[in-house]
Amino acid sequence: MAGGQSHDYVVPRNFRLLEEFEDSQKGGGDGLVSWGLACDDDMSLSDWNGSIIGPPKTPYDGRIYSVRVHCDENYPNSPPRAQFQTRINMTCVNKDTGAIDARKLPCLRLWQKHMTIFTLLASLREQMVQKENLKLPQPPDGSTYF
Amino acid sequence: MAESVENSGSDKITITVKTPKEKHELQVSPTSTVKELKDEASKQFSAPVEQLCLIFAGKILKDPDTLEQHGIKDGLTVHLVIKTTNRQPVASPPPDTATAPSGPPPPDVSQSPFGLAGMGGLGGVSGLGMGSANFMEMQQRMQRELMSNPDMLRQMMENPFVQQMMSNPDIMRQLIMNNPQMRELMERNPEITHMLNNPDLMRQTMELARNPAMLQELMRSQDRAMSNLESLPGGFNALQRMYRDIQEPMMNAAQESLGSNPFASLVNSGAGTGNMQQGRENTDPLPNPWAPTSAGSGTATTGTTTASTTPTTTPAADFTQSLLGPQGQMFNSPGMQSLMQQMMQNPQMISNMMQAPYMQSMLQSLSANPELAQQIIGNNPLFAGNPALMEQFRAQLPTMMQQLNNPEMQGALSNPRALEAVMQIQRGMQTLQSEAPTLFSGLSGMAGVPPPATGSTPASAATSPANPTSPGTAATTAPGSAPTSPAATTTAAGSPAATTTTTTTTAASPTGTTPTLAPQQGSQEAFTNMMAQLMQMMVGGQANQPPEQRYASQLEQLAAMGFVDRDANIRALTATLGDVNAAIDRLLQQR
Repeated sequence: MAGGQSHDYVVPRNFRLLEEFEDSQKGGGDGLVSWGLACDDDMSLSDWNGSIIGPPKTPYDGRIYSVRVHCDENYPNSPPRAQFQTRINMTCVNKDTGAIDARKLPCLRLWQKHMTIFTLLASLREQMVQKENLKLPQPPDGSTYF
Repeated sequence: MAESVENSGSDKITITVKTPKEKHELQVSPTSTVKELKDEASKQFSAPVEQLCLIFAGKILKDPDTLEQHGIKDGLTVHLVIKTTNRQPVASPPPDTATAPSGPPPPDVSQSPFGLAGMGGLGGVSGLGMGSANFMEMQQRMQRELMSNPDMLRQMMENPFVQQMMSNPDIMRQLIMNNPQMRELMERNPEITHMLNNPDLMRQTMELARNPAMLQELMRSQDRAMSNLESLPGGFNALQRMYRDIQEPMMNAAQESLGSNPFASLVNSGAGTGNMQQGRENTDPLPNPWAPTSAGSGTATTGTTTASTTPTTTPAADFTQSLLGPQGQMFNSPGMQSLMQQMMQNPQMISNMMQAPYMQSMLQSLSANPELAQQIIGNNPLFAGNPALMEQFRAQLPTMMQQLNNPEMQGALSNPRALEAVMQIQRGMQTLQSEAPTLFSGLSGMAGVPPPATGSTPASAATSPANPTSPGTAATTAPGSAPTSPAATTTAAGSPAATTTTTTTTAASPTGTTPTLAPQQGSQEAFTNMMAQLMQMMVGGQANQPPEQRYASQLEQLAAMGFVDRDANIRALTATLGDVNAAIDRLLQQR
């Protein structure tokens, strides 16, 4: 499905991303994640910052994770790419670079064009409460990949 | 919701601070720092400042940063995390994202998708410095002047023809495109092309017509667009040039013609304004050749790029109106009377007007594009109530336009004796109408067309040079063309009765005279084709044209914006009668 040529009705990329942008400014989402353009004058709407508030009662509690999200030309037909900037230890995240392995994150693996940056961030947050991630030792709070 | 204690100042902005559980609205100064916002939040959420962490647009806000830096403005929402531990919020954004955004406030982008798509990324460059105080000042001064005189705008805009015209972005665009100055400017600056092709902008310009508040709004956003343009490489030069070439003459024109719209009296069926103009323009030199007759038009409404729309069209509007108005209203109006008189007294003015670049290009475009002309007519309320009249006019329009373009014709218009002849015909018609209404309407009825004064007046002006002194015989010059012209009318009007050569018909037919002589030799066939086309259009109105053709330009726009489903685009455009904006709304809702 991802990246496939679909003949269904598609909202053009920029309109879609503008919607997401507006949503972010109005405090959309569930209040547990936040996103916005990395650079306000990025007219291509490609690079985004995401923040995930670590879920309480997990090793991630009290931390705020920064994620860079890149939406390419084919978004939302093809999924965005994402990379943690705050160091984190999770199964779907490359330990050395923070890059998110699309094959290991269901949201990206099964990406559908109605999904958004918010969907991605929320699913990352969801990963934090998954059993396999709860036991992992975490790097010191605030350390970053670069 | 508790509000800040210090909400007295009017310069405060309201920011919603939100945790997953609660939400407060804080009022702070727009220039405050993140620290100050935190202090405020600390009170509202009753949590120690050290435990607060503010996040906006995916970024963690650092204490020394200002709200401005992050583009945090009135009405926006900031996320708040209240840390449960005593640990300092050390997670800092990486250095590369910490660069302060210097672009324009993001909401600009969000407010109008078009701003982004249409302006090709102009929005982002205003922060690059290079602000030229002088130029902006100049702009503002001009705007102030305009704003201080809303009456003038309103007056002009109340003209229903202008309104109709303005409500059709296509026509407007075309008229702009036909202005050589604008075209050159656009070639050199693709951004401006985008601006002009931006139907949103166009529509705004048109809407401002009815609404002073809207005008102000437009001025403001134009300011913004201008400042953006300015920071573009070469943009300033373009602006300067634009100002010199367009805005200035427009302002001159506007000032010249303030409040002296002869057609104002037409529309309001009042009297007197025309006389005012008469007194003035006959004695004064004419600084701008086309301003006087296009009176009231030149108001140069908006001032800059978009401004050119108004002046460009209004001459068209007024002029066309002067050619077309159904006799009852038109020729009886004092405004028209005085205009005619004035025309006779001042032939120079007419020929000036006809030679004005705007006029020329307009006529050219009209004759090159019968459809455009048709649209104009179709939009004219004067014709709306009178389909027969409209049809006839449609049939005659292409030739008439051709004729208008003809230097001879233009010469004729500047011939006082010819004009006098026209006046006489017109007076005769009036007399006929008042003395023998039955006969008058009978004649018109028989002809299958509405009363003749319509298209005939200018036409007879064209023919009358041959026969200047005897207006009555102006009609007699028609026979030469009679075989073609009335026939054309017949097909067009779909009324065989039209061939009847009553006095009225003959009076009407000369419209076709001059041009038909030329086409007869070369392009009889083309002429026939055109007639067939016209026929078709009359049968089914515009509807006969497939939507792909009718909305070709809109379809292109949609495609450029990334709406790839052509069928859906066509459906949306059909449903919205070609309004691109509405079509987009529709498409976006369809998901």
